[in-house]
Amino acid sequence: MTTDEQNIITVQPWHDPAAKPFIRLKNITKKFGSFTAVDNVSLDIYEGELFCLLGGSGCGKSMLLRMLSGFEQPTSGSIEIDGQDQTGVPPYLRETNMMFQSYALFPHMNVEKNIAYPLVRAGYKKVEINQRVEEIIDMVQLNQFAKRKPSQLSGGQQQRVALARSLIKRPKLLLLDEPLGALDKKLREETQFELMKIQKQLGITFLVVTHDQEEAMTLATRIGVMTAGQIKQIGGPQEVYEYPNSKFVSEFIGSVNLFEGRVTEDTENHVLISSKQAGCDIFVGHGVSCAPNQKLWIAIRPEKMNISANRLEGKNNIINAIIDEVAYMGNMTVYHVKLNSGMIVKITSPNFSRQNSEIFQEGKTVYINWADNAGVVVPS
Amino acid sequence: MKTKRYILPITVVLGFTFLYAPIVSLVIYSFNASKLVTVWGGFSIKWYAHLFEDDQVMHAAWLSLKIAFISSTLALILGTIASLVLVRFGKFRFKSLLSGMISAPLVMPEVITGLSLLLLFVSMELLFGWPAGRGIVTIIIAHTTFCMAFVAVIVQSRLSDMDESIEEAAQDLGASSLWVFFDITLPVIAPALVSGWLLAFTLSLDDLVIASFVSGPGSSTLPMVIFSKVRLGVSPDVNALATLMIGIIAIAIIGASFLMFQKKK
Repeated sequence: MTTDEQNIITVQPWHDPAAKPFIRLKNITKKFGSFTAVDNVSLDIYEGELFCLLGGSGCGKSMLLRMLSGFEQPTSGSIEIDGQDQTGVPPYLRETNMMFQSYALFPHMNVEKNIAYPLVRAGYKKVEINQRVEEIIDMVQLNQFAKRKPSQLSGGQQQRVALARSLIKRPKLLLLDEPLGALDKKLREETQFELMKIQKQLGITFLVVTHDQEEAMTLATRIGVMTAGQIKQIGGPQEVYEYPNSKFVSEFIGSVNLFEGRVTEDTENHVLISSKQAGCDIFVGHGVSCAPNQKLWIAIRPEKMNISANRLEGKNNIINAIIDEVAYMGNMTVYHVKLNSGMIVKITSPNFSRQNSEIFQEGKTVYINWADNAGVVVPS
Repeated sequence: MKTKRYILPITVVLGFTFLYAPIVSLVIYSFNASKLVTVWGGFSIKWYAHLFEDDQVMHAAWLSLKIAFISSTLALILGTIASLVLVRFGKFRFKSLLSGMISAPLVMPEVITGLSLLLLFVSMELLFGWPAGRGIVTIIIAHTTFCMAFVAVIVQSRLSDMDESIEEAAQDLGASSLWVFFDITLPVIAPALVSGWLLAFTLSLDDLVIASFVSGPGSSTLPMVIFSKVRLGVSPDVNALATLMIGIIAIAIIGASFLMFQKKK
């Protein structure tokens, strides 16, 4: 094994077939009457990971969290934490702690007492409680607010109290339910990095549930994309963004242009897909496992397409289009261009220099093109 | 424009006069030296002294306070348990029926409540020999039943306003159900418990109708004594008694709201 490979394995234990998962969900199903909230989910999480469950509301991600913390029992399947089966273990005996979306701070206790509560209940000695509370208050920088009641704190401060309280018992697994959902954008970005720092510092395994794909991309070592009670794809941020395995994942994470088409030419090193929407044959510069004439989709990210005023040389993946809308965002410009088929394609183009004059105006006829490896072929 | 500026203060003054003028006049006349209730004969506190010498009134007052204290405490415990079951124990069969039935005594005419309780006590005595006769015990039972409904309604609304996730958080952080109740639920709903108890106390203290049905010889409550006195003609010592009651209730309510205000801070 080369050192490079070894590095990858210590940083990304899921690549190592011999690594033992720390949290193990086996065929978890949760039903409410005829409604299936979680549908046969299996998931391995490794020690020290910051795993994000990403999905829209009602996709079952919060239900998974509640089953891990013990508030709900799975209809079938089992949960293991550090090798121990959690079936029938009540929430107060599980070595997981949860940071609630609403923070759930105790309104009648001040910051210090809120944070100390888990240790008080666990029967720690007063000296040790004080020392540990002080330590963690230092870490989340709440020193001047220690005596305040939760109602006297701002949203960001409340969030830090909730984090400190859920971390003080050093749980084996910390569950975070939309941890940054209630913060405004700027604070959220700052807190994301703070959260990652704390996670690395303590080495506790985090499981974050979020509907915000940007948050998931920033925080996670791996992301599980959920919909309708199922995990559609598990992978690192780069993997799920660049190699989505389905239409759903490609659309859910980032924005994407999806061209529907049928395979017309299938060789070992390239595939030709005829697409009515694109109005041409799309050339994919690598082999794809597919049947002849199979219907599939090519997903291309907006930033992987180019706009030019004149037709570039070459014959593949160049389409004539008209600029429909232009949005100047500062760091980049977003174009909506209309193809002959009527399909609107979204393209972003970075503004490299201040004097960049290459901003196309609405109504201009342009050519769009992309490299033959820019898109991902998804079967469904 | 100018008249508009006066409309609000005038309505406020008129409204509060309507509410408080009778009480103020009652308080003033309690210090009346004259034996005639409606004729002012100079300032005096002799009716208060007179009151404290009246054994019947003092006995009834002490009895009323005892009954109010015991029945409001029992009502608090039972009402709190009932609302915990209805709000916190998830869905169960007949839940909405029970929830509606618990507040029915609020709108039930007191005459009917009193009469039905009397019938119950009489037939229970015939069947089991308990309660033997009517007296303090039957009044306490009767007051507990109708006060419980008020406590349950107040506590229920506080419980359903309360963020359930804080109870879950406590559980998640290592507290078993019992600890969750004493560490989290109880302190959070404490203001509702205090106001529920106070409401039950005052309701029990001034109940006349139900007590008249279920009381027996030697167990006349204060409102019953006042009522029977007034039937013989309004005497100034009744004014003094009423003033004392207003004073006690006012102090209790001001104290309770002060406590709750402190809690909020």
